Amino acid sequence: MARAGQTAVIGTGSARLPGATGGDQSAAERFFSTWAGRIGSRIVLVALILLVWEYAPVPRATRFWMSSPSLILGTLWDWLFDGTIWAHLESTLLVMSEGYVIGCAVGIGFGFLLGFFPRLSRVLAPLLASFYALPKIALAPLFVILLGVDNSSKIALVAVTVFFLVLTSTIDGVREVDRNTVNALVLMGATRTEIIRKVLIWAALPWIFTGMRIAVRYAFTTTLLAELIAANRGLGFLIELNSGNFNTTGAYAAIVVVIICSVLLTELLSRLESRMSHWVS
Amino acid sequence: MNDTAAARDVAAAAGTPAKIRLLRAEKAFQVRGQDIEAVHPTDLDIRPHEFIALVGPSGCGKSTILNMIAGLMRPTAGEVLYDGTPVSGPNRRVGYMTQKDTLLPWRTTRDNIRIALELKSHATPRAEADERVRQMIELVGLRGFENHTPAELSGGMRKRAAMARTLIYEPETLLMDEPFGALDSQLKLLMLDQLQSLTQHRHMSVVFVTHDLGEAITLSDRIVVMSARPGRIRAIHDVKLERPRDVFKVRFTPAFSEQHERLWDELKDDIVKGTDV
Repeated sequence: MARAGQTAVIGTGSARLPGATGGDQSAAERFFSTWAGRIGSRIVLVALILLVWEYAPVPRATRFWMSSPSLILGTLWDWLFDGTIWAHLESTLLVMSEGYVIGCAVGIGFGFLLGFFPRLSRVLAPLLASFYALPKIALAPLFVILLGVDNSSKIALVAVTVFFLVLTSTIDGVREVDRNTVNALVLMGATRTEIIRKVLIWAALPWIFTGMRIAVRYAFTTTLLAELIAANRGLGFLIELNSGNFNTTGAYAAIVVVIICSVLLTELLSRLESRMSHWVS
Repeated sequence: MNDTAAARDVAAAAGTPAKIRLLRAEKAFQVRGQDIEAVHPTDLDIRPHEFIALVGPSGCGKSTILNMIAGLMRPTAGEVLYDGTPVSGPNRRVGYMTQKDTLLPWRTTRDNIRIALELKSHATPRAEADERVRQMIELVGLRGFENHTPAELSGGMRKRAAMARTLIYEPETLLMDEPFGALDSQLKLLMLDQLQSLTQHRHMSVVFVTHDLGEAITLSDRIVVMSARPGRIRAIHDVKLERPRDVFKVRFTPAFSEQHERLWDELKDDIVKGTDV
């Protein structure tokens, strides 16, 4: 709903523009500024696209490549009831969440370690930077050799991706702590451990949350990419399998599932964010 | 003259070592490769239990002197002694209330004020800590704001919370950098009164940076007048007002006005040319 609200702001803004120049646009303006008007016009737009897609008079070969909404819907329907979709969805979500949790845990742990011990960090910084710069997907084939085609290689890849994101934001968070705040505690007689426990960890939390939030999307993307490269389950594999068999309808259907997943993920994140924001700021 | 003042004079005569001693202490900063002299070599003795005010135009190195006493800055040359020992790192014997408050944004007022008592160095049983925090909140007039976070407090309230946080563990020396700048004048008088009674009671030594001459005269035993760029001591004035002072009335005594006039004469040229606002 929050996202619909954002779109609405943009929608009314552009609808008002012609209203400023011509007087008789106000009816349209009023129509688009109502909730029903916006939803309605969206439905009409989507329906138009689907109708053209479905009934466009195209040659048979073209029809094969572009498939059609009814075929895609039929495939989704079948998948929904024969369990195909659930098995692949489960695999993708499992890989993503396991990799994410491992990546976050190790990333935060090492981030604190390097943040609290700047000398250690100075030794390791160039090494970490070079790994950070590496597009992690390049490791995928290697992980398949090392860990096999099943989930563990993909989990490892997701974990590595998430690890670096969370690691750097944790280190930054510890490093950006206000010096004066730390000094105040030092003068009060705080020990190193007390400073870490009472200041550094807390001050780093908003940064860590930011890193974790960004990492969710990376985890999803990385899971799909890993499944496209080598897998025997998962949404990425479903796309790859159907494309490999020249089953365009199946490929489109799998992509629809991916779109639904990312929309839900985005929605979930923005809700979490708004609930957390008062605390973080 | 009352007892403490008399005792102090006797001690001074007997050569009691200074609590804090600046020996040709100077500080320069590197700004774009250029040395900027912030504090010219300075000598200053601060006696035990003495209340000292540093006054002078902006940029005359008052805060730098506090930072050197706190051990957060090392003098470029010369020395700062505390109890006869050179200050070579963070000086844990002082409580430092900086110009910008350093309250922890994720803690409530109550928990911010309590923090020193949670540390091993000031370990306090929970019940006693609760009671002292309650008293402090009362003292600085923050009742009703115990559960607010710093972001929900006004500038003046944050200052008072920062003061409570520093006073609660009763450091033997207090360094305060314009602690009452953001307060309205009635509240400021109340705070001055509380600060005076606390520091007198606990026999604290205080170094107090301020722009407000009235504030300085009301509280101090001596006022150090500084001049700008590079900061140097221009004069040291003894404040010969009897203690305990009534902060609400002392401003209307002839002795106060006379002191104020002498200080103002000392400062006015410098303030005019020193304020680079």
